[in-house]
Amino acid sequence: MSKTLLYLLFAIYLMATSGYLLHIIWRRSFVAKASLVLIFAGVILQTALLGHRWWAAGYLPVTNLFATLFFFSWALALIYLYFELRYRVRATGLFVMLLNLVLLGGALPRDTAVSVLIPALDTPLFSLHIIFSFVGYAFFAMAFSIGVLYLCQARLNTQLLPDLPTLRKINEEAIFLGFGLFTLCMVAGSIWAHIAWGHWFSWNIKSVWSVLVWMFYAGMCHAKFIRRWQGGVYAWLSIAGFGVVLFTYLGIGLLLESNHPLE
Amino acid sequence: MASGKWPNPFLLKLWALGCSLKLAIALASAATLLIMGGSLVMHYNPAIFAGMEQEIMGRWLPEAWSRAPLLVFWVPLSGLCVLLFALNTLCCLIDWLTMVRVRWRKTGEYLVHTGFILLTVAYLWGNLSGFRSGPHRLAPGDRMSIPNMPGYLLQLEEFTPQIEPGGRPLDMINKLVLWKNGRQVLQKTIRINHPLIYDGLVILPSSYGQEIQGFRFHLPGTGLVDLASGSRLPISPDLTLVVHRFLADAHQDRQGRVMEIGSRLSNPALQISLLDPSGTIWQGWYFLRRQLPEGMVKAGIYLRPVEPVLTTFSLLTINRDPGDKMALTGGFCITVGVIFAFFSFYRKRTIGDRPEI
Repeated sequence: MSKTLLYLLFAIYLMATSGYLLHIIWRRSFVAKASLVLIFAGVILQTALLGHRWWAAGYLPVTNLFATLFFFSWALALIYLYFELRYRVRATGLFVMLLNLVLLGGALPRDTAVSVLIPALDTPLFSLHIIFSFVGYAFFAMAFSIGVLYLCQARLNTQLLPDLPTLRKINEEAIFLGFGLFTLCMVAGSIWAHIAWGHWFSWNIKSVWSVLVWMFYAGMCHAKFIRRWQGGVYAWLSIAGFGVVLFTYLGIGLLLESNHPLE
Repeated sequence: MASGKWPNPFLLKLWALGCSLKLAIALASAATLLIMGGSLVMHYNPAIFAGMEQEIMGRWLPEAWSRAPLLVFWVPLSGLCVLLFALNTLCCLIDWLTMVRVRWRKTGEYLVHTGFILLTVAYLWGNLSGFRSGPHRLAPGDRMSIPNMPGYLLQLEEFTPQIEPGGRPLDMINKLVLWKNGRQVLQKTIRINHPLIYDGLVILPSSYGQEIQGFRFHLPGTGLVDLASGSRLPISPDLTLVVHRFLADAHQDRQGRVMEIGSRLSNPALQISLLDPSGTIWQGWYFLRRQLPEGMVKAGIYLRPVEPVLTTFSLLTINRDPGDKMALTGGFCITVGVIFAFFSFYRKRTIGDRPEI
């Protein structure tokens, strides 16, 4: 992948994020619209880059830290577009795109070369596992952003952000969709583990924390029915849940030894 | 469940507790916190927890408990929480089934519940009555009994490791035959991600290796000959060379006794007899790193070592999980449930059915 195109992508997202910031300061809707157009352009470029890497490698190239950050960033941008088009969340884009910049910024200095696929990963179950996992993570990241904004809105009560019921609705939807996709990731991963290693659940630290992520968000899918927890508590849980996701994705891969190393 | 069906108020309360949402959240939270802490204990105590991957829980836990109960107590405790959580899920499922006519829109969610219950039972079943074994070393032609499964035999017919030009292993192709009570029940070529699965058994390639079988020599007038333990080489109509033993790494002490040091090629030696019609004319050790023994030279046998003869063997993992079909059914229920739940989530929002959630 060309580094120039990668920097161009980063620049597009940076301009979009800056646009949202200007929108908050100036409160001009055309600036927010321009940011949205930029995100559209960024997603198209990122999709093309991802597609090209997939085509060139012959498999979904999400096997190292650069590739996972890049894929995560793509999924987050795509999911933001979905929520923006569905709910017109505008200023929430600032926070989500900031998170996206952190992900993409983390990928920029890394080697873009496609690593050699180890034989055990050469199965469509791996691709499904990865796609569901990172799209699920992206929904959790979206829920985290919305959770933070919910707490801000509860305190500031500003016109810039959607109202509290809308933020709550988006948060719950993001958690629900993220949980569903992450569940599919776990199913695909378990079937793959059974045929690759002979057991469908492994007690390595990555698998254990993946189960923890699943249980945490399963709990959240139930917690929304407890009236006192709706809204504020749910927002805090979304933030805590993303902490668990980050530890599972980055903490274990970078700090601890696991069978899902990140290099 | 309708209260009218319960004559006993205590049972009614117990049922309400069993179906309690708050209990579900409390149990899931307790299990989550226990496993979170436990996973770090696990990471920093590999001596205790390394065997967790190689053994089923039913075998690993009692052994680990006897060694370090304070380090492993969280495993049964979190298991109990998950089990109670599954029981709670089962109560909710039964409760839903009794009112399925009015709550059918939750079918997706309850399929996920069903899948979770099946997975929990399947895990318990597999980890109490299954096994994990290996790596088992098999060379082509070898047969072995499957551990813990009397009457089952596994035969490796062919083994071909696939290696890319750079030396990186790409695949391990094993042609296997499974026998049950003397009858061939399955023949399958297995490779990475394509195991043999039969009656809860999962047989998969885990690695491979090479061992030295003997040595290749050049014999003037004959050409290349391979000599290993048990080889008989006719030199002439009246003279035969017999190899009694081949050692890859041999040592000879001061008394002349020869012993095997290891299986790696280091100081190879052959124990040889030369036979003619009258009997043995010479017997002794031929150390390949030394000169030919005088007895062989006298007999006119000028063997020149060329290269070792290697046999490639496969290392196979053999596991048995009697709950695997149940787990697969659970996974199927969950997958269908998630798809159904996604559909019904948006459908409910569209028609304004409880739009607040």
